[in-house]
Amino acid sequence: MPDLLGTSLTGMLAFQRALQLTSHNIANANTPGYSRQVAEFTSRIGGGSGQNYVGGGTQIASIKRMYDSLLVNQLQTAQTGLARFGALNSLSSRMDTLLADADTGLSASMQNFFNAVQDVANDPSNTTIRQAMLGEADGIAARFRTLDQQLNTQEKEVSDRLRLAVDDINRISGQIAEVNDLIAREGVGAQPNDLLDRRDQLVLELSGLIAVSTAEQDDGTLSVFIGSGRSLVIGIDAQRLGIRGDEFDPTRATIVYEGAGATAPLDASLSGGVVGGLLEFRTRMLDPARQTLGQTAAALALQFNTQHQSGLDLRGNLGGDFFGIDPPQILYSSGNTGSPSAVAQVADLGAYTGANYVLEFDGAGYTLTREDSGEVIPMTGTGTAGDPFVADGITIEVGGSPAAGDRMLIRTGHGAAASMQTLIDDPRSVALASPTRSSASLGNIGDATISTPITVDADDPGLLTSAVIEFTSATTYTINGGATVYTYTDGDPILINGNEVTINGSPTAGDQFTIEANLGASGDNGNGLLLANLQSLGLLENGAISINESYGQLIAGVGATAYQIQEGFEAQDVVFRNAEDAVLSKSAVNLDEEAANLVRFQQAYQASAQVVNVTKQLFDSLLAATSR
Amino acid sequence: MRVSTRGAYLNSLLAMQKLQQALDYTQRQISSGRRILTPSDDPIAASRSIQMVETISRLEQFDRNSTLALNRLSQEESALNSVNNVVQRVRELGLQANNATQSDESRGLIAVEMRELLDELVQLANQQDGNGRYIFSGNLDQTRPVSRSGSTFTYHGDQSQRIIQIGEGRQVADGHPGSRVFFEIRNGNGIFQISPAASNLGTGLSGEGSVVDPTAYDRDTYTFTMLTDTTYQVVDSSGGVVDSGTYETGDTITFSGIEFSITGQPVSGDEFTVAPSQNQDIFSIVDQLSTALEQSITDDASRAALNNAVNSGLLGLDQALGKVLDIRTEIGSRLAAIDNQVNLNANTILGLQTALSDLQDLDYAEAVSRLSAEAATLEAAQASFVRTQQLSLFNYF
Repeated sequence: MPDLLGTSLTGMLAFQRALQLTSHNIANANTPGYSRQVAEFTSRIGGGSGQNYVGGGTQIASIKRMYDSLLVNQLQTAQTGLARFGALNSLSSRMDTLLADADTGLSASMQNFFNAVQDVANDPSNTTIRQAMLGEADGIAARFRTLDQQLNTQEKEVSDRLRLAVDDINRISGQIAEVNDLIAREGVGAQPNDLLDRRDQLVLELSGLIAVSTAEQDDGTLSVFIGSGRSLVIGIDAQRLGIRGDEFDPTRATIVYEGAGATAPLDASLSGGVVGGLLEFRTRMLDPARQTLGQTAAALALQFNTQHQSGLDLRGNLGGDFFGIDPPQILYSSGNTGSPSAVAQVADLGAYTGANYVLEFDGAGYTLTREDSGEVIPMTGTGTAGDPFVADGITIEVGGSPAAGDRMLIRTGHGAAASMQTLIDDPRSVALASPTRSSASLGNIGDATISTPITVDADDPGLLTSAVIEFTSATTYTINGGATVYTYTDGDPILINGNEVTINGSPTAGDQFTIEANLGASGDNGNGLLLANLQSLGLLENGAISINESYGQLIAGVGATAYQIQEGFEAQDVVFRNAEDAVLSKSAVNLDEEAANLVRFQQAYQASAQVVNVTKQLFDSLLAATSR
Repeated sequence: MRVSTRGAYLNSLLAMQKLQQALDYTQRQISSGRRILTPSDDPIAASRSIQMVETISRLEQFDRNSTLALNRLSQEESALNSVNNVVQRVRELGLQANNATQSDESRGLIAVEMRELLDELVQLANQQDGNGRYIFSGNLDQTRPVSRSGSTFTYHGDQSQRIIQIGEGRQVADGHPGSRVFFEIRNGNGIFQISPAASNLGTGLSGEGSVVDPTAYDRDTYTFTMLTDTTYQVVDSSGGVVDSGTYETGDTITFSGIEFSITGQPVSGDEFTVAPSQNQDIFSIVDQLSTALEQSITDDASRAALNNAVNSGLLGLDQALGKVLDIRTEIGSRLAAIDNQVNLNANTILGLQTALSDLQDLDYAEAVSRLSAEAATLEAAQASFVRTQQLSLFNYF
């Protein structure tokens, strides 16, 4: 009889606990990362009598956490991928819109500027139109500056977000270490389900920030590793990550591992998650975009200046620099022990790349390495002012007192766009006229004609000096009455003081042709036409790429990358949803199921309670039978 | 597969969010009329359309350039038309004055009109455009091209002409320097000129002459001299005799690849110089003609001098008219070239705009039907969400 009571009591206790568990499940139906818990009943072994055994009721053998580590790992991996693409996508789509949009992009300003150059070439003596052209020049310079500034803002944002992400990583790794501690205290073999859920949830959160790998230890703690096997959490200890300024640029945040005693740079080994996405965006999109933008700005400014300097302005002076742009930036490594110095200039647009280069001194000589490709670029020259190093269209002059191992970063395009400005504010100073003009003396008897001079060497000191070609016979001529007699061949180019002309036809002795400074030629647009032509003239990559095409390639490149990232993001989203679905399907609470369990356990409890009643009645019957 | 309550909820929510995103995208497409909203929607189409927009803008600039060149050339053409009319009138007056019936007085009146026409001609050469810039001074467009000092006319412009870009790789000059129009008029017949010596006493009149053998003509200066009243000889610049013979009025005299005739009766000692043509200006031609008309005729020799001067002047005027015609023809072909280029540009722009529209414009019919489909799906998703969320076993407790 007491056996009967005991047995029913085990049922009541077990079902009471099962009901409690169901209630816990229902309460956590919406808790992220919660794995539903299921009671596993086993029967109790009872006492035996002879060969017949009667069991001793029920018991809860274990409370099982409905959980599949494989699915959870998949979810963590998917989370890493999704967060990476998410960070990339949000930044790249903004950059894409910024560069290619008709209102914010460079394209419209560039077109307006060159249209204004054509307008002014059409009507060179009109100062109002000249003023309008200067306005458009200011517009294009401002647009370059704004674009670079916006890209710079994105770079700052990347640094800020990296800082926040590192704070989060440190917080989460600390929490994982704490949970490890709590779990380890439960002892080997314990199943603290809710703590385990909490730890999984923390690892999932961490996976959203950075790619991690985990290993469960015998004592129940979880070790977390990042990058190429660096430990973030071991047992109850968490390591910290930190943010340092870049070796060359203190405003550029890089992630370091703050291990015992020393810090180690991590950027190159980190991937995945928000951190991986941010770092990838910076090197894959932002750096090349700023470099190409700077390259385009420098190409426009330098080539326009060169052409502008070979024209005459309304005052009869040779043109000056039209656009101002800073030379390549030199940044010195914070690890330098000597005090090196360097000055770089863009010398050849055809070979100029806009890339970043690291110049390293090894104690004897310098080595130039392209930063993005790691390629060593051979340099000619000796690095002195008279014979500078020349590589990839850049001249580098070195000085100071460098120590072995000193490094410098040469940014040839990065940030150049930020310094672009127009240097001319007087419309009369725009040099639209050809520097020289030619004329045939009206007294000429022969029918020979002279071509408009082409400036082949704008730097010739005698460029603007008048020269008279006088024919001494039908086939010979002298220049400025000099003693040298030249032979005339119909149509052959004649080179005088950097001017090239051709004379066609049959001259007669005494015929004169004059080349002179093009003074007062307010209506001449010879240089203006050449300026307008620069838009479609091949300048970069050995003349294969025009300024327009250079920017077009930037837009197309950014657009294509942004498109790939967007596609990748959408695909990763599906992967993540599937992984999440699988985990939820396995682990999350179904309220209908719990309702059914509620009914089931309630009924079982009631039945067990009924057994007590039956026992009581049996006992009462026994008492009634024996009380007489 | 087991469905968790949270999973089911998240899934329906996510599905609805996706549908809303699609709906929003379509809605933005419809309200903007553009198929591509951000470049990453279709990066290839986006970068191509940027290039097309740039090309269109460039071509439209060429059109503006063309209009400008067209206006300037038309203005020049109309100025040249006036020049032509004035020169024609001078020519008529010259012919009229050459008539033997004219008296000194009537020729004087003709000369007065001719001088007025000369003034008009100078004004035409110094004509300015609407912005006050001289149209015939080359690129020195703020310099008055023609000045007069007595009977000397000087050109102050340059010999350049401004080039206008009217198409990709296509340029056209928007005018002609005044030197070409007014100052580079070859005298005589354009190759050589025969001029009588001022001291001639006879009535010999020179014709205009012509080149019969261009290879034999050496552009030397020759002198035709009457040795007696009936014989002549021609010597070259170094004194070598190249031709001689008996003079008959109107006979063709041929030497060194050229021929000409002299009519009338020159007398012994009269000379005619045959020199290569040189540039002269149209103003001097008219001025010299007027001066010749102002001389009174006293004898046969002075009449012959008048006739020779008028003939020479008329020859110059013909050269000038020919020059003006040449330049007007050139203007005509430039205008035609501009017309062609404008048409070509317009066709290219049209083609580009069609292609651009295909690339970036929205197919409204497709978009609107897509919008309805998406809206219907979203409504269905919302309705089914509400229904399934109401389903719970707890409802039956």
